[in-house]
Amino acid sequence: MSARWLVALMVGVVAAAAVGCAGDGSATPAPPRSPEVSGTWRNPGGQALRPASGDVPFTPWGAEQAKKERPTFSSDFRETTDPAVLYADPNGYPRIIMHPMKFKLVQTNDYVYQLFEYNQNWRQIALNKTHAPDDVPTWYGNAVGKWDGDTLVVDSTGYKPSTWLDSRGLPHTDNLHIIERIRREGEMLLVELTFEDPGAFTKPWSAQLKFERVDDGAMIETIYTISDELRFRERFLGVPAPIPIRR
Amino acid sequence: MCRYVSILAGAICALLFSTATSAHHGATSLYDVKKETTLKVTITEFTWTNPHVEVGIASVEDKSARWLLELGSPPNISNRGWTAKSLKPGDVVTVTFNPGLRGMRVGRLLKVVLPDGKELLA
Repeated sequence: MSARWLVALMVGVVAAAAVGCAGDGSATPAPPRSPEVSGTWRNPGGQALRPASGDVPFTPWGAEQAKKERPTFSSDFRETTDPAVLYADPNGYPRIIMHPMKFKLVQTNDYVYQLFEYNQNWRQIALNKTHAPDDVPTWYGNAVGKWDGDTLVVDSTGYKPSTWLDSRGLPHTDNLHIIERIRREGEMLLVELTFEDPGAFTKPWSAQLKFERVDDGAMIETIYTISDELRFRERFLGVPAPIPIRR
Repeated sequence: MCRYVSILAGAICALLFSTATSAHHGATSLYDVKKETTLKVTITEFTWTNPHVEVGIASVEDKSARWLLELGSPPNISNRGWTAKSLKPGDVVTVTFNPGLRGMRVGRLLKVVLPDGKELLA
C-alpha cells in the first residue's frame, strides 16, 4: 500500500468517527431556549414617558432644563431646541422606541439587538456581562441584560447628555442609569423603565410603555440626513441652505 | 367622579401624544390645522424622501395656483397603503390639506381621492 493510500484511509477513518460522535448523544446539549421577546413592535400612540402617578421628580436643574427645551410640536418649529431635528442627531434612548416607526428585537445567545426602523439605528444588549470599564457616553448607551424568568432585565448607562428621553424634551445628565424590564404579554410587549439620575431627578421614577406586535416585520430604509433637513427648510420654510445640499 | 376625571385626563393625554408623534416638524407652527382646503389638482411632483414625502400640486381651475405639500415619512405612510408609486406627475386627483401659516404656498396633505374614488389618507 502506498503512502498516499494510507493517508486517504486514515482521513476516512477520522471523518467517520467524527460523524458518529456527532450523532451519539454525547454532544453538549443545546442551552434552554430563552423567553421570547423577539419580533417587530410599534408604539400604538397615546402614551407618555411619565410616572404612573405624580410628576417627574425633577431636581432644580432638571426642572429648569425641561422648561428651556422647545419641542417642535408645542413651539415654533423654527426655534426648536430638539437636537434630533436641529442637528439630525440620533434620537437616543428610550425616545427611539417611542417613535411611530417600528423596531425589531432579535435574540441570540449572547446579545439581544434592537433594530430601529428610524434612521436604521440599532442598540445591543450584552447578555450576562458587566458594563465595560471604559464606559464612554454614546447615543444608545452601554446596555447589559439577563433573563429573570420571562423578563429581560436591562441595565444601561453611558448616555450622551445631549439626547432627550422623549420628544417633549425630558432632560438627563451623563449619570443617567436606566433599568428596563421587558416582557411579552400576548401580542403586546411591555417595557417598564426606571430612571435614576441624581443630576436630573431627586429620586428614581418609573414609567411603563406598551408596544403592539406588527405582523409584517419588513422595515423600510429611512435614513434622515442633514441634506434632507436643509432641503425641507428651504422648500417649506423658505430658509436658504447655508451649504450645498444633495437633491 | 374621580373615574371620569381620569378618563378625561387619559383622553387629553392620548390626543396630545398622538398629535406629537405624527409631526416631526411640528405641524401647528407651520400650518393652519383648523383650516382644510379641498381642490381638484394635477400632481406636479411626488418625491418619496425623508423627512417627509413631498407632493407638488397645481389647481386644475387655475394652473398658476401651485402648492408644495408634505406627507408623513415613507415608513409611516406605507402603513396606510401609500407606495412610492401612489402618485405621479400628471395625475388628476382631489386633495385636502391644511394650508401654510406664513404666506408660503405650502401645506400638510390630509387626504387624496383618486379618480376611481379610492382614498389615501395621510
